[in-house]
Amino acid sequence: MRRRTLAWALGLVAAFAFVAAGCGGGGGSSNNANNNAGNGNTTAATNSGTLTVAIGSEPPSLDPGLATDTTSSYVVMNINTPIVKLGPAPDLKPRPALAQSWDVNGNSVTLHLRSDVTWTDGTKVTAQDVVWSWLRTISPQLGADYAYQFYGIKGAQEYNGCKPSASNNQCNDLKNKVGLSAPDATTVKIQLTSPQPWFMQQLSHVSFIPVSKTAVQKYGDKWTAPGHIVTDGPFKLTSWKHDNSLTLQKYDGWYNASQVKLNTVNLKIITDGSTALQAFNAGNVDVNDTGWPVSETSSLKQKPEYHQFPALGIYYYGFNVKQVTDVNQRKAMALAIDRKTIVENITQAGQVPAPSFTPDGMPGASTINTGSDFLKPTADMTLANQYMSKVKSPVKNITLIFNNAPGHKEIAVAIQSQWQKLGLNVTLKQQDWPQFLQFLGPPPNSSVDAFRMGWVADFPDDINFLSVLECGGGNNYTNWCNKQFDQDLKQATASSSQSQRYQLYQQAEQILTGKNGDMPIAPIYWYTYADLQKSTVQGYKINPMDEIDLSQVSVSQ
Amino acid sequence: MLKFVVRRVLWTIPIILLVILMVFGMMKEIKGSPFRRTERAVPAAVMANLNRKFGLDRPWYVQYERYVRDVFTLDLGPSLVLRNQDVNGIVEEHFPVSAELGGLAMLFAIVVGVPLGVISALRANRFTDYAAMLVANVGFSVPAFLTSTLFIYFFAGKWGGFTGLPTNGWDTWSAKVLPVIALGLGPLTYFARLVRGQMLETLQQDYVRTAKAKGLRWRRVVGVHVLRNSLIPAVTAAGPLLGFIVTGSFIIENIFAIPGIGRYYVTSVEGRDYSTVMGITVLLSILIIVANMVVDILYGVLDPRTREART
Amino acid sequence: MATNPQEEEVREAAITRESEAAERMRYEAGAAVRQTSLWRDAVRRFSANKAALAAMVAFVLLALYCLIVPFVDPYDPNAVDFSQAYLTPSVHHFFGTDQFGRDLFVRTALGGRISIGIGFAGTFAIMLIGILYGSISGFVGGWLDNGMMRLLDALYGLPYLPFAIITLAIFGTVNFWTMVIALTIASWFTTARVIRGQIISLKENDYVRAARAIGARWNRILFRHLLPNTLGLVIVFVFLELPGVVLGEAFLSFLGLGINPPQASWGSLAQDGYSQYLSHPYIIVIPSVAIAWLILSAFFVADGLRDALDPRTQEV
Repeated sequence: MRRRTLAWALGLVAAFAFVAAGCGGGGGSSNNANNNAGNGNTTAATNSGTLTVAIGSEPPSLDPGLATDTTSSYVVMNINTPIVKLGPAPDLKPRPALAQSWDVNGNSVTLHLRSDVTWTDGTKVTAQDVVWSWLRTISPQLGADYAYQFYGIKGAQEYNGCKPSASNNQCNDLKNKVGLSAPDATTVKIQLTSPQPWFMQQLSHVSFIPVSKTAVQKYGDKWTAPGHIVTDGPFKLTSWKHDNSLTLQKYDGWYNASQVKLNTVNLKIITDGSTALQAFNAGNVDVNDTGWPVSETSSLKQKPEYHQFPALGIYYYGFNVKQVTDVNQRKAMALAIDRKTIVENITQAGQVPAPSFTPDGMPGASTINTGSDFLKPTADMTLANQYMSKVKSPVKNITLIFNNAPGHKEIAVAIQSQWQKLGLNVTLKQQDWPQFLQFLGPPPNSSVDAFRMGWVADFPDDINFLSVLECGGGNNYTNWCNKQFDQDLKQATASSSQSQRYQLYQQAEQILTGKNGDMPIAPIYWYTYADLQKSTVQGYKINPMDEIDLSQVSVSQ
Repeated sequence: MLKFVVRRVLWTIPIILLVILMVFGMMKEIKGSPFRRTERAVPAAVMANLNRKFGLDRPWYVQYERYVRDVFTLDLGPSLVLRNQDVNGIVEEHFPVSAELGGLAMLFAIVVGVPLGVISALRANRFTDYAAMLVANVGFSVPAFLTSTLFIYFFAGKWGGFTGLPTNGWDTWSAKVLPVIALGLGPLTYFARLVRGQMLETLQQDYVRTAKAKGLRWRRVVGVHVLRNSLIPAVTAAGPLLGFIVTGSFIIENIFAIPGIGRYYVTSVEGRDYSTVMGITVLLSILIIVANMVVDILYGVLDPRTREART
Repeated sequence: MATNPQEEEVREAAITRESEAAERMRYEAGAAVRQTSLWRDAVRRFSANKAALAAMVAFVLLALYCLIVPFVDPYDPNAVDFSQAYLTPSVHHFFGTDQFGRDLFVRTALGGRISIGIGFAGTFAIMLIGILYGSISGFVGGWLDNGMMRLLDALYGLPYLPFAIITLAIFGTVNFWTMVIALTIASWFTTARVIRGQIISLKENDYVRAARAIGARWNRILFRHLLPNTLGLVIVFVFLELPGVVLGEAFLSFLGLGINPPQASWGSLAQDGYSQYLSHPYIIVIPSVAIAWLILSAFFVADGLRDALDPRTQEV
């Protein structure tokens, strides 16, 4: 008897649990109203005015001060108006956006803002907003990763480095000393630490985008939630289902709203490349920005949906020069890498084999990369072996570390077999990202002989690339220091002549990868950006800084 | 009886504390900072600021005390990586999705697995038995990443026009079909084997043979006596199966792009988002502990012998 | 003539009874009786179970493949040669080649060594810890048992896969042994519980009470009486836990936490294959089939062993 009642009781409990789970989960699907496309409903995606894009990750933050990754930047740049936009390659000159004109006088920069830009809550965007936002990003309390972008402004680095404590007013004093002021609603005055010819281009970066003081003060950490967030760009954020999708709607109050052809943009978060490709093939998304399995690239390249864009970024291997001490061995290892094979057989997306650190798309590259022919696209084993034989006590056991994101393992395996031809015994160590960074330091862990790294430009000037390898720089994991190199960079920073700067960059590049250089790193290839777009989508371009301007995009019937 | 229940419930508190301590200890051991997310170095000053802001520079016992307080006041703190979200919000948004996925998968496993087990037991050691067990076991043996992949490729991709099933997502009921089946195949194996085993044992019992000899209709014998007694032990499956669901959901959610808690879990460990990892681990642990406790209590009610042996 | 299964049953039972009766007659007539022990009986019953037998054969075949092929296969498993890439299975390459032109037949065998090795090492570790914990807890009983079980309850709450991930993150590197440890850490709880249950129920048996009554020391009771009787259970458990460990390794590799290249396990081979399944499906199918083969055969062997060793299940 007891068993029977118990069985019934269990059955009831189980049934209740399932129903409860179902009710709890069912609430999610009632938000369907905002997802009018891409849910296995193929017709909705072809409505003109609506664009559905597969993006590869959940944006960690939509706060311009905290957006460090490309997905966050993608959204933030399109729901806000940046200070300036970048013109077309190869020059990538700054174009008016929020700032309609500017004056540059040595250390002083004055921005004249448009007067017709409004926040989505109706108020105007003013110069005070800009100054307030920048000071917020520089403030130590926010903990902005990109605060270093502002270090070119007088007093910014000191303010950022201040330790906030309740007792002293030291931080407030430092804040007042930062070289920023807004004499009136449309003028921003900036004092720099030195003349920085690239500063205007740097202002196109997402970290300089102003935020709405009202929203931030009212909602604190939660100010970016839909319903709270206040922005000033061509689109506004109307829904954000975490780890699922974001929806942007056209903002009619934008100053150029008449030119914006899209009404709705659905960003679907699909992290897995195979799934994203399937979704694109099934017609569930219009653009696949997530990516796809690399092995599909060769067949996808034949299709008209495939689009490829040059990028200002490099994939390279660095050496720990305290371990691989002999420059001849480093040169041999760099010469032994068969870049062309890697690009053609592994990455396959039209990447360019890199003979130098500075990418060819960089303004001034024709001067900077003159003489960068020591490293070839293919391997030069004869020359490599010659250098290897010059090495007095070669490091035979090489440990190569890389992070476990897709693609790195395959390249490491290929290079491992290439270095084996030099008689080296290469051990591969795959790590997850935070641990990988921990091992890199700087300074790198003594078990690290070589490592994989990449760099994408923050702004289109070579100083941004070359300063990665400055002595003691936070991004220099090689333990390498060269006085002449640092000297060249310092001179270039102080110079106001473009041609002189390019000359200095060329000298610096030679110290890196030239015949008589130090070879602290071995460049492998320069990035490209690629995506899949339906033929109905027009104007969807990725610029060399990995930026996409949705206000230029349209979808035809 | 009541004393037994109360004692079991009270015991969960020190257990939960122990779990928090273990998770906390382990997380402290992992190297890596949650604040370096890209290749770009974060200036040392900024790092110091961030560590201070989130209390990561306090001694370990202070941090531990804070976590314990967080758990018991049900405020799990802000996420270290997703800077505009807090752990409570993440859990509220994503946990129901995973719970639904898990619940439906269990339902599927029971609905298909139990009959398979019954058929196997009734036709023990014959072809039907082997065939049914093969079908049931395949679900567990073929790794989930392959079954999910095949499902998407065939049912949503190639034959998508015919079936109308989407390739990913969780918003419509049709999107739920494939992931639920993919996740449910493992527990299905478990149920089928369990029911088969129990039924075989019960079928040997004298009272069953007596009933058969008495001439009672076989179907009634099986349905009324054998089945009921075989199904009750399936309750013990709750513990390990909950674990399996949690494990399997990581992969399924990843491949099917389902916004559940499993995906968040893996990315949080990889991103060193300590507060989120702590919060979700503790939540999962509490769930499993509570589930086990319920099972134990039910067993105590059911079988007085176990009650005595345990306490 | 097709007979209905119930008639068959009756007839089989009759034959068994007859042969048993014949045996008894011979015994009573003083003939030499073939002694049979639990083990021999189990072996006989196991062999009669066709599915279990076939599974055992399959299991052994797989193990032989992994052991022997790397010695006889002509191809170097690590040679990178892009001109040989993506060859579909053929006479030259039974399993085809991968993206780097490496022969998959030998790589799958090597992967099997690692996966099965991890499986057995992990299972052995799980058994060791589980038996130690369970038998101490069950045998000693009282407050120690209570405390240990409460601790176990706490440990049960640790979700297995996240803990494996965290453990691997703590070690910092993924090799054979760290993988074994990571997979073992949160998997031995059920074994401990079951062994403890078995020990407790065996403890109440008359022969144990008798041994105690005549003054046998605890280690004699434990090692001579209790543990051997759990052996059957343990063997079954080994074949039940092995699939879980192998699958766990496959999952972790799939999430990117696999063994360092160029070494491979079935899980890391599957992960390689996953990124290429749309155009080259065989690369993911092969290791997955190997995993499924291992798990299926292990399960059927476990079932057969359990049926064979459990005196309660009589032949129907």
